[in-house]
Amino acid sequence: MSFDTVIELKGLKRHYDVGGETVKALDGVDLSIGRGEYVSLVGPSGSGKTTLFNMIGGLDRPTEGGVLIDGVDISKLDAYELAWLRCRRIGYIFQNFNLITVLTALENVALPTVFAGTPHDEGLKKAQKLLESVGLRDRINHKPVQLSAGQQQRVAIARALANDPAIILADEPTGNLDLNTGTEIIDLLHGLNKTRGLTLVAATHDLKMIKASDRVVWMRDGRVERIERG
Amino acid sequence: MEMNSEDRRVHLGYAEAFRLGYSQLLQRLDRSALNVASIALGLSFYTSLLLTDTFYRTYASLGGGSLSVEATYYWLVAIALAVSVVGITNAMLISVQERVKEIGTMKCLGALDRHIILLFLIEALLQGLVGGVIGYGVGLAAALLTTGFSTGFDIILRVPVAQNITLFSSSIVLAVVLSTAATIYPAYRAARLDPVEALRYEL
Repeated sequence: MSFDTVIELKGLKRHYDVGGETVKALDGVDLSIGRGEYVSLVGPSGSGKTTLFNMIGGLDRPTEGGVLIDGVDISKLDAYELAWLRCRRIGYIFQNFNLITVLTALENVALPTVFAGTPHDEGLKKAQKLLESVGLRDRINHKPVQLSAGQQQRVAIARALANDPAIILADEPTGNLDLNTGTEIIDLLHGLNKTRGLTLVAATHDLKMIKASDRVVWMRDGRVERIERG
Repeated sequence: MEMNSEDRRVHLGYAEAFRLGYSQLLQRLDRSALNVASIALGLSFYTSLLLTDTFYRTYASLGGGSLSVEATYYWLVAIALAVSVVGITNAMLISVQERVKEIGTMKCLGALDRHIILLFLIEALLQGLVGGVIGYGVGLAAALLTTGFSTGFDIILRVPVAQNITLFSSSIVLAVVLSTAATIYPAYRAARLDPVEALRYEL
């Protein structure tokens, strides 16, 4: 399969100063990810997966090198443009779901549409459709604490899709789920990748996720160790 | 992807911000009730003094004896209000700490720093409004109880309506201003949170 490039990492470095010592969380990563591709980031903890996730997501700035999304170097964006990018181009999924506890499933999913400036009713309508599409038609007015872990992750996936992003970034999305629920979530994500043509980048330890992906990027000590076809 | 056109902006309208602030208050009712109580207590002391003074003056202007409020009480009021402000700042800082992850998540979803500030200030504004109304009611009752026996309880009806309205609205404004001022620093702290660290934060 060939893809046109949507994410490009060029000589990406991220160094931290911890107590006078330099920690090289990322130490020169070059990687191109194509539109509609499903890429798993794999590696031991401390290998730089999460830092890479933060970089691609525009949550952290590189010490050196660049992150290009659709050809734009996001380290050069100002706070407004970065917020827009996070809001409209990227959907985030986390290990701990990170739903807003005081809001219902519907309100959680509609929240990104608020920041996108979508009219209130339209945002809610869209959120409802998304919740139905992830199989939560009967749960839209439940609060996160009233939902199972798998259901919470479904809400988070619906929320990630709220502004029709081009890229879904997932950080250990099955890490807090049991085997069966994890498999359901993987199938859901994989389906979205195939049917909507979403670019899916997932940091994971989960063998099932790794198997489902187009490419597997093995990280070690802040570098890409090797890349395998899934 | 062009980044300079006008529609590439994130938004948070006041209506939506109010909706969010309101649901935060309802869901964290215990803490917001304490903040409301803090404002209400300080303000009730202030209004009771203010109204007692007003009642005495009205009584005097109608030819009754001249009674007055001792000036030192106003110092006590100032201190009481300062204590309220410090209490609210403290409570809101704890509230920020509780919501670190949530704030990080909001930033991932497109919230700007000033959106986070707006959300906290709206909570403060609503708390100030409720605390102000309650505080005014309590203060009014206290003022009537302390003056009523010497001036007659109908003294409140003798105070010109316009003056009553001014007293009420200025007290509410004071409550809202104090509550909001107390929240500026916690809101700023919340807005400055780094999303990467906020998302990793474990309570």
